[in-house]
Amino acid sequence: MIKKVQDLARKWLEGKEVDAIFGLKEQDGYIAPYLFADASELDNLTISTEYRLCYTCRPPKENILALMQRREPNTKIGIVARGCEERALVELAKRGQVDLDKVKIMGIACTPEEAKECRCERPYPNNLVIGERVEGVSGDENINTLLNKSLPERLEFWRHELSKCIKCYGCRNVCPMCFCKDCKMEQEVFSKTGWLPPEIPMFHFIRFYHISERCIGCGQCEKACPVDIPLLTIFKLLRKDVKDLFDYEAGMDVEQEAPLLTTLDEMPMKEEVPSGV
Amino acid sequence: MEYKNVLTTCPYCGAGCNFYLQVLNGELVGVLPCKSHTVSQGKLCIKGWNASEFVISKERLSKPLIKRNGSFIEASWDEALDTIAKKLKEYKEIDPDSIAVLSSAKCTNEENYLMMKFARAVLGTNNVDHCARLCHASTVVGLGQSFGSGAMTNSIRELEDADCILIIGSNTAEQHPLIARYILRAKEKGAKLIVVDPRAITLTQFADYHLRQRPGTDVAVFNGFMNLILAEGLEDKEFIKERAEGFEELRETVKIYTPEHVEKITGIPKDKLIAAATTYAKAEHASIVYSMGITQHTTGVDNVSSSANLAMLTGNVGKPSTGVNPLRGQNNVQGACDMGALPNVYSGYQSVTDENMRAKFEDAWKTKLPEKPGLTVVEMMNEAAKSNIKAMYIMGENPMISDPDISHVREGLENLEFLAVQDIFLTETAQLADVVLPATSYAEKEGTFTSTERLVQMVRKAIEPLGESSADWQIICDLAKAMGSKEFEYGAPADIMDEIASLTPSYAGIVYERLQRGGLQWPCPSKEHPGTPYLHKEKFSRANGKGKFFGIEFKEPAELPDEEYPFILSTGRIIFHFHTGTMTRKTELLNKEVPTGYVEINPKDAERLGIVAGELVSVQTRRGQIETKALITERVPEGVIFIPFHFAECAANVLTNPALDPVAKIPEYKVCAAKIEKYQVSSTLKASPGFTIPPRITRANIPSKGRR
Repeated sequence: MIKKVQDLARKWLEGKEVDAIFGLKEQDGYIAPYLFADASELDNLTISTEYRLCYTCRPPKENILALMQRREPNTKIGIVARGCEERALVELAKRGQVDLDKVKIMGIACTPEEAKECRCERPYPNNLVIGERVEGVSGDENINTLLNKSLPERLEFWRHELSKCIKCYGCRNVCPMCFCKDCKMEQEVFSKTGWLPPEIPMFHFIRFYHISERCIGCGQCEKACPVDIPLLTIFKLLRKDVKDLFDYEAGMDVEQEAPLLTTLDEMPMKEEVPSGV
Repeated sequence: MEYKNVLTTCPYCGAGCNFYLQVLNGELVGVLPCKSHTVSQGKLCIKGWNASEFVISKERLSKPLIKRNGSFIEASWDEALDTIAKKLKEYKEIDPDSIAVLSSAKCTNEENYLMMKFARAVLGTNNVDHCARLCHASTVVGLGQSFGSGAMTNSIRELEDADCILIIGSNTAEQHPLIARYILRAKEKGAKLIVVDPRAITLTQFADYHLRQRPGTDVAVFNGFMNLILAEGLEDKEFIKERAEGFEELRETVKIYTPEHVEKITGIPKDKLIAAATTYAKAEHASIVYSMGITQHTTGVDNVSSSANLAMLTGNVGKPSTGVNPLRGQNNVQGACDMGALPNVYSGYQSVTDENMRAKFEDAWKTKLPEKPGLTVVEMMNEAAKSNIKAMYIMGENPMISDPDISHVREGLENLEFLAVQDIFLTETAQLADVVLPATSYAEKEGTFTSTERLVQMVRKAIEPLGESSADWQIICDLAKAMGSKEFEYGAPADIMDEIASLTPSYAGIVYERLQRGGLQWPCPSKEHPGTPYLHKEKFSRANGKGKFFGIEFKEPAELPDEEYPFILSTGRIIFHFHTGTMTRKTELLNKEVPTGYVEINPKDAERLGIVAGELVSVQTRRGQIETKALITERVPEGVIFIPFHFAECAANVLTNPALDPVAKIPEYKVCAAKIEKYQVSSTLKASPGFTIPPRITRANIPSKGRR
């Protein structure tokens, strides 16, 4: 599999189909995202479920691909993308962040083990280039256990989990869909700043709602959480709600309009600010 | 286009998390967690996530500065180095001990080693110390006398498998967030959590027992635990017999510390104390975690040795998921101590008064070395005020915010005839200097940091130095050469580590080639040795191999509340900022979370004094006065107020007591007597010009447009 990825990357680079390949590089046993501009380096190109190639750089507060495209608009970048990464790119393009004309996606399939590890429902890209498509996991034990509890028990479960939060913003920072310059999680109007644990549930709910219809289910938020809050569980439930309510799944098609992404032809409703405030 | 990720070690706390620095076309564009790292495992705290922002701050120093007629003028490196070399030579010729050096727990091992070598071999003085004096000097002494090694006995990840964790004087979730991760994981797996802290810290919500002792009564708490354990026969008799000495002395001392007596001293209800002590004693694997809550007292060494007593009494040393685990505050405070940036020891805690040790270093450095141990941080400031210290060289420290009784520190520093500072920012301390040298941050240099679990890890260069700044190790070498030394010829930090390894038994096996694939925990005595996850497995590091019990009586803090100053003032840190704020206060998100300081006061005290939430109040002690906002909260008990020390405009250390532990010379930051009053306009205008109340974000001043 990795050999095929390296060979195709070499072909793309040498054939000038792309100017660089964005993938994972292994060095001294450590793996990290890297932009391969020279075919001779491609022996170090690797694949791993540990890292994704769609994330927002901070402080620029911009997706890494968007940042690269803004710095060098004429560079065509090839990207080794799993299903979730392809979906992230589609959503980013839909929201005007990334120009897909300047990206060539090398879609790779995940193995059954990888799909299981990520509890992934769709472990393959729509444009599969390398690997065998395997079906995603159906059903989710964590969700079933949760849904079998009574409502007060579920509330207590989440209250306990969220009370562990140390406000690292890691869930937001790794999220491929969290690219707002003006993040609502940071604002005192939504949850009190400078306090641990951050206000329950508002600090988290503001992100849950904000991301609900763009979440592509990669689970990076859960993996970044230092206190093991089961964030993938809640996002899977949200994704299901979006599917049931709007028959919409994030990341499928650039042309498909997101249900909560509306154009405001007129000024938004003015907030009533009571006098004297 | 070039885009790479450079693996490095976090520059904030001592947890030793690793992350990647993202570099796009030579420019730093962010942080990415490292999934395969032993401690961080792909996670970070809010400071780690934002650790690239201050590096590229516009406030970074980019050129050497020389003060002329009271203001700084940009200078060339040659001019600045010549000025410093000339001055230091003058003082050296008259009396080397009129010079003092502060090394830095923020800098690498290599830099700390060079700084202590510079002080001893070039300047000829043992007057070298650093901020470890202010945080864990009592650990180095206390665990040193009890176990023979003043470092964390076990490893961070072992906490996850403990059956009981006793946390005393550590607000772990805020100060060492990624260590709290393993405490919470232990809790989820069924471990019992005992928090001993006057404040209701973040972890207390998960604690099985929260013992709220009166500040400064920790020895009584430990003795109370041990009294009960002995009364109930819960001690580990075999361990005591085989592995330790001095037990009779301990038994005699703790006899009077019955639960009733301890309740009187500490205010902890005796039933709670009994339940917690029993839980700790009965656990198969019990870990003690502590930090500055017990070290920063005039009884700091007593507190630390008491924790060692308790662990040995129950046989909780020398096996996984047990031990006495001091959490060190700075990224490389462990390393700075290991490297001998201390007035009494060379690297590896080899004593300057030991002739054989001294001969070894004299031989390696080809020069005579001073015999008399030097001055500690607070002593240096005192001697500067008395004109006995005339010149100071400070690398990457900011005593103008971090040391106790800042007015006195200012007096000392202003009284110096010559002060040189090397730093990445023009700190409050650098502003007082005659010459300032621009250093590089962790992101622009190579080296190693040693984390709190004795893990030596690589710091890698991600970007080129900003402006004309230069790496600290390079600056020290240049300065040593300017002073005529020939013993500072190093091609790269790896060469310095080779010299460290050749002179330091616990680091003998450390070499860059090995570190590239992951850290090594000292002691690592040979190039084949895998490193040591936990200490004292078969024997202790003391000369006879035994641990030592000390019978320690409770002593009151140096300054107690009275009629005039009725409150106990305690100081500390918060998760959103770090130490003197030089890095975190240049980070947007952290400033948004907490823009300035405050004083925590209990609702009942606030009501009694008529203080309302957010109101500006004046806090006074015998040292000074500050104005700050009142934060009314039950996090502090009645009679106790708490101020975070990060904020220069309302600096807690204007108030703190410089009274020292007699042995470790650590100041009593955690207890002093204070009064708190409603703010009077007239006094403030004089006392603190430039203080502004930060604007509050309210719904009214948030624009409604532009929401996504």
